[in-house]
Amino acid sequence: MSALNRSTIFPGLSALLISAAIGMVFFYAPLEKTMGSVQKIFYFHLPLALTAFLSFFVAFISGIMYLRSRKRIWDARLASSVEIGVVLTTLVLITGSLWGKPIWNTYWTWDPRLTTSLILWFIFASCLILRSAVDDEGKRATYSAVLAIVGFIDVPIVFLSARLWRSIHPTVIRADSIGLEFSMLMTLLVCMAAMLAFWVGLYKFRVSLQLQEAEVNDLINQKR
Amino acid sequence: MKSLRQIRFLLDKDLRIELRKKESLVSMAFFGALILVMLNISSGIGRQVDAETGAGILWVAIIFSSVLGLGRVFSREKENGCVAALLISPVTPGEIFVAKTLVNFTLMLLSELVLVPVFYVLFGAQLSFSLLTLLPVLLLVNLGFSTTGTLISAISAGTRRNEVLLPILLFPLILPLTALAVKATAATMAAKPFAELLPQLEPMFAFCVIFSAVGYLLFPFTIRED
Repeated sequence: MSALNRSTIFPGLSALLISAAIGMVFFYAPLEKTMGSVQKIFYFHLPLALTAFLSFFVAFISGIMYLRSRKRIWDARLASSVEIGVVLTTLVLITGSLWGKPIWNTYWTWDPRLTTSLILWFIFASCLILRSAVDDEGKRATYSAVLAIVGFIDVPIVFLSARLWRSIHPTVIRADSIGLEFSMLMTLLVCMAAMLAFWVGLYKFRVSLQLQEAEVNDLINQKR
Repeated sequence: MKSLRQIRFLLDKDLRIELRKKESLVSMAFFGALILVMLNISSGIGRQVDAETGAGILWVAIIFSSVLGLGRVFSREKENGCVAALLISPVTPGEIFVAKTLVNFTLMLLSELVLVPVFYVLFGAQLSFSLLTLLPVLLLVNLGFSTTGTLISAISAGTRRNEVLLPILLFPLILPLTALAVKATAATMAAKPFAELLPQLEPMFAFCVIFSAVGYLLFPFTIRED
């Protein structure tokens, strides 16, 4: 009973927080002066981007830990975070494009942040393709760990080299100040908390599913 | 000193195989030239391209054709179980990495000896050519491509779909290098002085250093057979 309760904490929390976040976005946060209702997509875009980067960071750490320890749990963590990261990055790219069309008058432009997100998406999606192409568990784990590490190292390089083009992405949160109204900031914080709770819940489910899958495979191999 | 000798020995072995069979080099140069001809036709017969487009075309041909050679570097070893032989011989995985990188570097350089002249024959009517500024760009891309590519080809050779996976895994990683190279090459073709290429060449050099280190450190994991 207690195990059941523990596994439902984060899904329950994220259900609560996500409905609160949606309510706040539409009824509490004020309408932005120039962009109007289009700006509201930002409340989802930024938390999605943050959790996407969080997933790839977790994948990077898991990759290093796997190569050091060769424990199955780190491969499960890597695989889950890469999967979630690819889904979240896809959503980041979609929400960003939807916002960019009315505001920048284009769905896509080669801005450093956009370029970096897209390359991240390509690298980690290719990691999923790689995983599907290797049968041996140890090899699959090693290869994807190496790729996750290399991919993560590539990110700052992509970002810096894309800087050679101009940047038009708005910087809302700078080091010295936050360019946001108080009620907007509150909404953003609730949205972030909701997305984080959702991320943790999803991540835990995926990790345990990966482990169960590996154990089932062990049983099948034993029987042969 | 000893490891230099080991590396030279491995390099000699691979280059000798290549010289006798000529399978990688011929197909690289042929495929690259084919891409150049196709892009020449598809950019409109009798139309001149500007420096930016020309640089892009040259790099598409070089990068795509180099993948052919890269794919063979490891699958040749895997086919006859030579990886196991390499691993039990008294060379470290790091030395194998350096040797394979140099093999690929040499192959790319040799195929560029064909591709760059073909490019200038087809597209070069209004583009300027200066070996002094083009050569550093070529060398840096060859180095960056070879280090990253050797690491990735060791991974893809261990899978069921080597030829398909290699470009899928490699191209996103080397995208910053390619983008910088296109920019630098465009400057060369527009007859800009060498100093104007430096903002591109410096990050390219950094890319090469970073991925040489990363490749050297991670390569032993990818090649080990448990």
